[in-house]
Amino acid sequence: MDVFSKPKFFTTSTKGENAELLVELNSEYRERRKDAVKRVIANMTVGKDVSSLFPQVVKNMQTEDLEMKKLVYLYLMNYAKSNPDLVILAVNTFVRDTDHLNPLIRALAIRTMGCIRVDKILDHVCEPLKKCLQDDNPYVRKTAALAVAKLWDLDQERARENGFVEILQELLSDSTPMVVANAVTALAEMQESATIDNGGDVFVVNVVTMNKMLAALNECTEWGQIAILTSLADYRPVDSKEAENICERVVPRLSHANGSVVLSSIRVIMMYMRYLKNDDFVKALIKKMSPPLVSLLASPPEVQYVALRNINLILQKRPDILQNDVRVFFCKYNDPPYVKREKLEIIIKLSNGRNIDQVLSELKEYASEVDVDFVRKAVRAIGRCAIMIDEASERCVNVLLDLINTKVNYVVQEAIIVIKDIFRKYPQRYEAIIPTLCQNLDSLDEPEAKGSLIWILGEYAERIENAVELIESFLETFLEENSQVQLQLLTATVKLFLKKPSQSQELVHRVLQTATQEIDNPDTRDRAYVYWRLLSTDPQAAKAVVLSEKPPISVESGGGTGATGSGRGPSNGLAGVSRIAPGLMDELICNISTLASVYHKPPRAFLGNKAFSADAVRKAAVEDAKDEEQIAGEDAPVPGSAAAAAPKNAMADLLDLDFGSAEPQVPAYSSPPVSGTRAPANYNADLFGLSSDMGNMSGAFGGSNGLQNNMNGGNSASGSNGNLFGDLGGFGGFGQSPPLSQNQQHQQPQSTPQNTQSSAVNDLLDLL
Amino acid sequence: MGSIFSRILGRLWGDKEVRILILGLDGAGKTTILYRLQVGEVVTTIPTIGFNVETVQYKNIKFQVWDLGGQTSIRPYWRCYYANTDAVIYVVDSVDRDRVSTAKEELMAMLEEDELKDASLLVFANKQDMQGAMSAAEVSDALGLSTLMNRQWSIYKTSAVKGEGLTEGLDWLINIMQK
Repeated sequence: MDVFSKPKFFTTSTKGENAELLVELNSEYRERRKDAVKRVIANMTVGKDVSSLFPQVVKNMQTEDLEMKKLVYLYLMNYAKSNPDLVILAVNTFVRDTDHLNPLIRALAIRTMGCIRVDKILDHVCEPLKKCLQDDNPYVRKTAALAVAKLWDLDQERARENGFVEILQELLSDSTPMVVANAVTALAEMQESATIDNGGDVFVVNVVTMNKMLAALNECTEWGQIAILTSLADYRPVDSKEAENICERVVPRLSHANGSVVLSSIRVIMMYMRYLKNDDFVKALIKKMSPPLVSLLASPPEVQYVALRNINLILQKRPDILQNDVRVFFCKYNDPPYVKREKLEIIIKLSNGRNIDQVLSELKEYASEVDVDFVRKAVRAIGRCAIMIDEASERCVNVLLDLINTKVNYVVQEAIIVIKDIFRKYPQRYEAIIPTLCQNLDSLDEPEAKGSLIWILGEYAERIENAVELIESFLETFLEENSQVQLQLLTATVKLFLKKPSQSQELVHRVLQTATQEIDNPDTRDRAYVYWRLLSTDPQAAKAVVLSEKPPISVESGGGTGATGSGRGPSNGLAGVSRIAPGLMDELICNISTLASVYHKPPRAFLGNKAFSADAVRKAAVEDAKDEEQIAGEDAPVPGSAAAAAPKNAMADLLDLDFGSAEPQVPAYSSPPVSGTRAPANYNADLFGLSSDMGNMSGAFGGSNGLQNNMNGGNSASGSNGNLFGDLGGFGGFGQSPPLSQNQQHQQPQSTPQNTQSSAVNDLLDLL
Repeated sequence: MGSIFSRILGRLWGDKEVRILILGLDGAGKTTILYRLQVGEVVTTIPTIGFNVETVQYKNIKFQVWDLGGQTSIRPYWRCYYANTDAVIYVVDSVDRDRVSTAKEELMAMLEEDELKDASLLVFANKQDMQGAMSAAEVSDALGLSTLMNRQWSIYKTSAVKGEGLTEGLDWLINIMQK
C-alpha cells in the first residue's frame, strides 16, 4: 500500500481484511497506522466485526493526534464490552489523558471512560473522575458530572463510597450554568434508582437547590433547561407567593424555539398553578401559555401530534386556555389523519356559543371529505357540539339534516346516531325531524345506526303514525339482527305496545315469544322474559318502568360519541369521549411533555420492566373508577334513608340502566344519580329500594330482597346466584354496553348459555 | 541482521520508528526509565495499568519506546505488543532477590515468542543505587542469560533515579542495530 495514495476506507479485500488491518495497525509508519484505524472505524460503522483488533487499536490510543485519539475512543466505546479483559490496557492512557493540558482531551477521556461499561475498570475510574469533577475547566466538570451518573448505574455503592453524590451536590452551586444543568441531570437520573437500601435519596429539590437551578436556567443549553425544568417540577412550593415567583422565572422559557423546553415550562407552570391563590396572576399565566402552544402547531406533523396530545390534556385541566384560538386547530387538507383526529378533539373542546358558527361550518366541510373515518368523527363532533352548547343545538341539528340530505350512506348513519343523542339531551324539541329520519330507514345497515333509529321509533311511537309498520318491517329480520339491534327492537316494541296497545298487541306477543324461544343470547332472552312478566303482571308498572322520564344526558356523558367504546377501558369509559379521570389527570399533568402525556396513560403502564400487562392496567383503572364512584355515591340518596326520594331514584336507576343498555352507546355513566359503572353492590341496593318502596313492583321484583341476601352471602350458593345476577345485570344495563370487564359475573352467562337458561329461569320463577 | 539494518535505513526516507519494548516485573522501574530517557528527569509514577508509549530521540535516532505494565494481570497481554519490535529492554529490580526467578520465567517465556526472534535483548539490572543490590553478573546468572542462543544480548547495571547506565545501554543497542 502506497503511503501517498488516497486511502479507501470502505473498500474490502478478498483475503481476510482483519488480518491485513492487523498488520497495518502495527506499522512503523504513523500515517499508515492512522489510515488503518480509520478503516477499522469505517468497518465498524457498516457493522463488520472488528472486535478482534482490539489490542492493536488500543495501542494507537496514546498519541498527540487528536483525530486519532477520538477514533480510538470511539472504537473503545463500541467494543469494550466484547473485550472486557483487554480494556485494562487502555486504563493508563485514560488516566494520563485526564491529566492532559488540553481540557478537551481531559473531557474526552473522562466521557469515554464513563461510557465503557466494564466492571473491571471501575477501580481505575474513580480517581480520575474525582479529579475531573474538580477540574478548573467547566467543560471538564460538566462532562464529569454526567460520568458520575454512568458510574452510579454500574455500581451505586462505589459511587457513594467515593463521595461522588456529595461532589455532585456541590456542583449544583457551580458558577457555570452548564455544570449546574448537568449536575441536575445526573442527580435526577440517579435519584430514580436510589433506594433506601443503598443510602436513600441523592437529590431532593429544596429551596436552596431550587434557587440555584433557577439561576442557571436562563443560561444553559436547551438540554440543560429541560433537565432543570423537569427537576423544578418536583419541587413543592411553600406558599402561593413562592409559586408565583417561580412561575415568573419560568415564563420566559415559553418563548424558546425548542418545543420540549416549551412543554417542560408549561408542565412546571401547570403544576405550580395549583398553589397559586392569585386569580389574576393565574389568568395572566394562562394568557401567556397560549401563544407558545399555538406556535408549536407550526412544527412538523409528529411534533404537532405531541403538542396536540398535550394541549388536549391541558385543555381538560384548564378549559379557559386557548379560548380564542379555535381557528388554529382547523384541519389543513394535508394534515395526516392522526393530527386531524386530535385537532377535531380539541376543536370540540374549544367550541362555545361565540365560535360555534365558525366551528360548525368547518365541521360540515370535514363531513364532505373522502376519509370515511374522519367524516364520521366530524359528524359525531357536530353532535357533541349540539349537546354541549344549548343555544347552538338548533344550528347543529340543521347541519345534521343537511348532511342527511346528502344521502351519503355513512354520513346518514352517523348523523342518525348523533341525533338520537340530541333527542335524549333535548327531549320534546326536535321531534319534527323524525319523518326525515324515517325516510332513510332502508339505507341503514350498521347495528348502531339501526339501533338508534329504532330507539327513536320506540321513544316517539305516539308521534309517528306508521310506527307500527316501521317496527314491523324491522322485525321481519329480527332473528338475523345483531343482538344490540334485537335489544332495541324488543324495548321499542314494548314501548310501542304501551303507547298504542290496540295496534301492536299481536306484535309484542310475537316478539316476546320469538325472543324467549328462539334466541340463544341470554341478554335478549332474559330481557324479553322480564318484559313479558312485567306486562302480564301489571301493565301499569310496566308503563312506569319503561316509559318513565329519563334523566337527560349531559356533556360529560358525552353523547356516546365513541363508536368503538368496547375497546376502551373503564377509566375513560365514557364510551369514546377522551375525558380523563381526575386522579389520572393530575398524574398526566405531572408528566406533560413525556410519553405519558402523549399516550394519556400513566408512565407505570408502559415503562420498561415495571410495565403492567394490559389486564393490570385495566384493573388499576377499575380501581380508579371505583374510588370515584365511592365519592359519587356519597352524593346519591340512599334508598330507605330518604324514603320519599328513594322510589323515584330506584325507578330512575332502573330506567337509566334499561335505556343505558337499550342504547348501548349511551351508557349514561355519569348521569346522576347513578351511573352505569356502579359496583355491583349498588345495583343490589337500588333493586332493594325498588322492591321495598314500590308496592306494585314487588310482584316483579319481590325476590330481589332475597337475591340481595344471596349476593351478600358471598356467592355461597351454586353458580345460579351469579348467573341470575348476571341476567339481571343484563337486563339492568350491562346488556351490550362496552365495558364488560366491569362486571365479571356478566360474562358468565354468556359463556355458559345452557346452564344459564335453566338456572336463570328457575330462579326467576322462584322469585315470582 | 540485514532486515534490521534496512529498517534503520528506511527511517531516513519515511517517518519510520525504531520500536523498543521495556518489559519487566511490576515495580522494576520501567516507567521511570522511560521518562528518564525521554525528558531526562525523574518523574513520580504510579503503577502502569496498561502501557505508556513515548518517542525518544537519541543520537539522531527516533525510538518509539513502549513501557508495558508489569503486573501479573497485565503480563499476559505483553504479547499484543511484540509485533515489529526491534529490541526489548528487560528491567530487573536488582534488590528484589525473591522474585528474580519469576523475572527469569517471564523473560524466557517472552523470548520463546516467534515475533521476537530477531529482537535484541538489553537487560537493565536496575536500582543499583540501593543497598544490597545484586551485581550485573549475579543478575545475569539468575536470569540464565548465558544459556541464550541466537540472541544479541547485553546487561548493564543502572540506576534510573540517578540516571546511571542508561545511555551506555542505549549506545550498545544503537551499535548492535547499525551493524
